[in-house]
Amino acid sequence: MSEILRLSHISKTFPGVKALQDISFDLLRGEIHCLCGENGAGKSTLIKILAGAYQPDEGGRILVDGKEVSLTPRAALKLGIHTIYQEHVVFPDLTITENIFAGSEITRFGLMQRQAMRERTRRVLDYLKSDLSPEAAMGDLTSGQQKIVEIAKALEFRSNVIILDEPTASFSSREVETLLDILRRIRADGVGIIYISHHLEEVFEIGDRATVLRDGRRISMYPIEGLTKTTLIKDMVGRDPSTFYDRERVEPGEVVLEARHVSGNGVHDVSLDLRRGEILGLAGMVGSGRSELMEVLFGAAPLVSGEIRIDGRPVRHSSPKSAILNKMCFITEDRQATGLFLTQSIAENIAVANMVNTHQLLARPAADAAVAETYVERLNIRAPSTQARVGNLSGGNQQKVVLGKWFNTDGEIFIFDEPSHGIDVGAKQEIYRVMVELLRAGKAILMVSSDMPEVISMSDRILVFKEGEVAGELSGADITEENILSLSIGDTLQ
Amino acid sequence: MNEPEKATVPAKREESLFRRYPNLRVLSIFVSFVVIIVVLQLISTGGTKFPTFISPVNILNILQQVAVPGIIAVSMTMVMISGGIDLSVGMLASLVSIVVALGVSQWGLGVGASIALGIASAVVLEAIMGFIISRTSVEPFIITLGGMISFQGIALLLCNSREVVMKGELDFLTTNLFERMRDPVTGLLLRVPPYVILFFVIALIGGLLLTFTKYGRRIYAVGTNPRAAYLAGINVRNMRMSVYVIQGLFVGIGATMLLARINTGIITLGQGLEIDTIAMVVIGGTALSGGRGNIVGTLIGVFFLGSIANAMNMLRLPSEVQFLAKGLVVIIAVSAGDVSSRISEFLALRRERANMRTVLPPKERREAGEQGGGRADLQDLSA
Repeated sequence: MSEILRLSHISKTFPGVKALQDISFDLLRGEIHCLCGENGAGKSTLIKILAGAYQPDEGGRILVDGKEVSLTPRAALKLGIHTIYQEHVVFPDLTITENIFAGSEITRFGLMQRQAMRERTRRVLDYLKSDLSPEAAMGDLTSGQQKIVEIAKALEFRSNVIILDEPTASFSSREVETLLDILRRIRADGVGIIYISHHLEEVFEIGDRATVLRDGRRISMYPIEGLTKTTLIKDMVGRDPSTFYDRERVEPGEVVLEARHVSGNGVHDVSLDLRRGEILGLAGMVGSGRSELMEVLFGAAPLVSGEIRIDGRPVRHSSPKSAILNKMCFITEDRQATGLFLTQSIAENIAVANMVNTHQLLARPAADAAVAETYVERLNIRAPSTQARVGNLSGGNQQKVVLGKWFNTDGEIFIFDEPSHGIDVGAKQEIYRVMVELLRAGKAILMVSSDMPEVISMSDRILVFKEGEVAGELSGADITEENILSLSIGDTLQ
Repeated sequence: MNEPEKATVPAKREESLFRRYPNLRVLSIFVSFVVIIVVLQLISTGGTKFPTFISPVNILNILQQVAVPGIIAVSMTMVMISGGIDLSVGMLASLVSIVVALGVSQWGLGVGASIALGIASAVVLEAIMGFIISRTSVEPFIITLGGMISFQGIALLLCNSREVVMKGELDFLTTNLFERMRDPVTGLLLRVPPYVILFFVIALIGGLLLTFTKYGRRIYAVGTNPRAAYLAGINVRNMRMSVYVIQGLFVGIGATMLLARINTGIITLGQGLEIDTIAMVVIGGTALSGGRGNIVGTLIGVFFLGSIANAMNMLRLPSEVQFLAKGLVVIIAVSAGDVSSRISEFLALRRERANMRTVLPPKERREAGEQGGGRADLQDLSA
């Protein structure tokens, strides 16, 4: 087997962040090399460098077939490096053939050669032993089938390096098997594959070698044969303790929110208790049902079965309105899409959720501005005035406006979905400080977080989710990265 | 937090004066339009006569012409701020006028009952469209297009495709409230019929509703981000339906006024009204995408569009030219904001570049440049 790709001493610095430091990596023909690491370990940055989307810092070298190259998106494709991203980049209304040839149609005198394109699509699908019709509309395919089409496209372009980023994220187990079969087949034909997956069982089933990244550094590289999951997990965790946050603990009070056998919205039979003065962390992989459960609790998705109780009283949340009236607050993950009114002012954003609680018909812009002013002070929102448009603020300040919006409703139960997603370190610390303030005031917090240091250092207890169910509960000394990771990828607790 | 710190907050997007105060933009275009017409009039008369375009009698004339589309533009503003649109208002107005005229002249209903029936039918029909729009994901454009066509059908069925002539039963709506007052410039009688007053009352109510009631603020929230509005406890469906109900009410009132002026219920009465009202609203700065706009802007749009035809008459230009003029005004008024902010963005970029050259040594400058390049490449890849 010959080497097809080599990275040596690759680093990538973003303003203020060292995303990758001195990474070396190589890929052989006919090999599946897995990249392992937690969220934020640097996997995505690395594959973006390989795709040519990012330029590495000076000093590193990228060799393709032994020749040093510099990669741009076009150059990468030309050299046969094809990246298949986690999100599908497809045209749902076009056929499989049209998707494969989009942007590089076969033409003759400017006319599309439909027959020729269909033939070639047929051939590559046959090779992949797929019975999809070249004429099928992309939008009608399942996520797994779409991934097969993307692989077909990579092969059609004679790629010899295929990078797959979390290909099985929304697959059924049969689809995973089909995909792994296909990968084995193209590996046998000499294609080198870089495979990224949270599912360690896939890594063990199909990988030849595994490289572990953590905090932008290469920790280790092993042949899969003879490797144990424990070793791999140990390398993936074990962070620098300075990334953890030490927070003041509050003595938990009585139970304020109870969920009993809650199902619906992709969540099955989840029970939990939340006490005043505590943060219950919800950990697990992206898509493990945590945000979905939050939607059910908040009335934004229907409850199929089970019971929710607040202060011991059974409640039915038919819409977010009823949840807000029951003193719940939901700081959603995607603040721009679901939390803010970007073209409106800070004052209006802060006033909007509390309208549920006010019974007068009139709005009072001046009073709203005065209220907003107090939250600008209290949350240290950096803005020219309360009339500033929220769309013009930085991510951290936008997140604080979302907090202001909910604090203004005088809620008791706070749901934080990825509270520090996409905000800088300083704003993160401020948000943690505010969360502790809430606890001191006797409020309760449910926190969904995929950020390991965050979930570990902020939570009093942690529920780990896997595939819509609670895989286990951790508290006290059991809260370790290793335990969370094992539970969320389906290992039993040792 | 102290003042200097606040002042250093970087704005993500360079904001021009016109973008910050959208009404100022339309107002300045409108004012320049008026100035141009006045100057042209002064030139043509050699400056010997007071320009008739801005004489009180002419202004009242314009007001009478814009009052009805203006009333409907107020509710259209609400519909559009909520993220909707309503193409059916013109045909609905025709339908209402026919219902009222039939009620008065053929069905033997009293004047009051006929008007009530006309307005009620507009409210019900709009409510039905609003119900469909708020409960399905079909575009309001399509639902109201269907509404427009079917209202035309209903109206034609009701009147057997004939016009319904009245005997001046609604004349009380067009009486002159200012009797015996004369214009000092032209010496003509000043006319202020009740529906002009009604237009201002409705505009005031609409403006207050949008700015000073919880309901109004929620219309903006729904138009800006329906998902976030839902999660903030707003009943998005009912909000979206309610604006169409208000639209129905205002169309009903407006159509009655129109009927009072013409004295005949006829299918052509409301023709093109949807085009005019939507044009007025967008000239006034309301975004088609929802969430942005206000009644003051709409009022400027109403007066602006209404004065074009009048100005063309004053200048003795053929009436065909007014379509061209109206069209150009829509395009200029709406694109002016974008053009002015592009200009100020460009100026800011040039300033920034100039600063960069003086502050950064060559190597860092290159890196700063590279980063922008990296993002562009990424887009390229996903395209």
